[in-house]
Amino acid sequence: MASEESGSPPTKDNPYQQTYVVRKGDTLSKIADEYYGDARLYTKIFEANRDVLTDPNKIRPGQKLRIP
Amino acid sequence: MRTTMKWLALLVVTLFVAACAGQKEPATKAVTEIEASVNTLREDAAKYAATELETVEDGLASLKASLANGDYKSVLAAAPAVSTQLSTLQQTVAEKKQQAEAAFAAATEQWKTLSTEVPDMVAAIQSRVDILGKSKRLPKNVSAESFEAAKQGLETMKASWSEAGSHFSTGEPVDAVAKAQEAKDKGTEVLQLLGMS
Repeated sequence: MASEESGSPPTKDNPYQQTYVVRKGDTLSKIADEYYGDARLYTKIFEANRDVLTDPNKIRPGQKLRIP
Repeated sequence: MRTTMKWLALLVVTLFVAACAGQKEPATKAVTEIEASVNTLREDAAKYAATELETVEDGLASLKASLANGDYKSVLAAAPAVSTQLSTLQQTVAEKKQQAEAAFAAATEQWKTLSTEVPDMVAAIQSRVDILGKSKRLPKNVSAESFEAAKQGLETMKASWSEAGSHFSTGEPVDAVAKAQEAKDKGTEVLQLLGMS
C-alpha cells in the first residue's frame, strides 16, 4: 500500500482556513470547482496539503484537507 | 483729646498689624501645602482628571494672589474649599488611575489572543482572495459584488491591523486592542462574504 504521507513538516493550522473532509468519488478538481469555481485551481489545494498528499490524483475518503 | 485720638489710632494699627502677622504663617503654610500636593499630583491629574485639576489650579492661583497681596484672611477663608477640591481630585485621580491600569492589563492580555487571531484571519482571507482572483468564475456562493466587497474589506482590515500594531508598539494596548477588534470584526464580515464561515 502506497503511503500518501510525505516527510515534509506539518503546516501550522490556521483556524480561519476552511477544511474539507474527502468523500467517496471526490477529486481535487471537483473540490476546487466547488470552493473556487474553477477546477483548474486544484493545485492550490494540493500545494496547501503537501504534508498529507504526494499525488494530486490520490486522495482518500475521510482525509481532512485545508482549503486555502 | 487730640493726643488720645492719636494713641488710639496707633493702637488700632498696631493691633491690625499684629493680627495680620498672626495670620501670615498659617496662610503661607496652607498655600505651601496645597501647592506641594498639586505639584505631586499634577502629572497624573493632567492625564486622568484634567477638568478637576484646572479647578484646583484656579483655586491655588487665587490663594497665591491673595497671599502676595498680604490678604491672609482671604487665604485662610478660601483655603479649606481648595483643600476639599484637592482631596476630591486626589480621590478621582486614584480611582481613574486604578481603572486605567486594570484596562491596560486587560488589553495586554487580550492583545495576546488578537495578535494571533487577526494575522491568521488576514492570511486566510488574503489567500482566498488571491485564488479567487485567478478563477475563471466565482463559486456559486460568492457573487461578484460580494467578492468586490470582500477585497475592499480585506484592505480595511489590513489598515486597521497595521494601526493596531503601531498603537501596541508605542505602549497603547487599549487603543491597539480597539483597532485589532475592529480588524477582527471586519474579517468576520469578509469571511461571510467569501462563504468561508
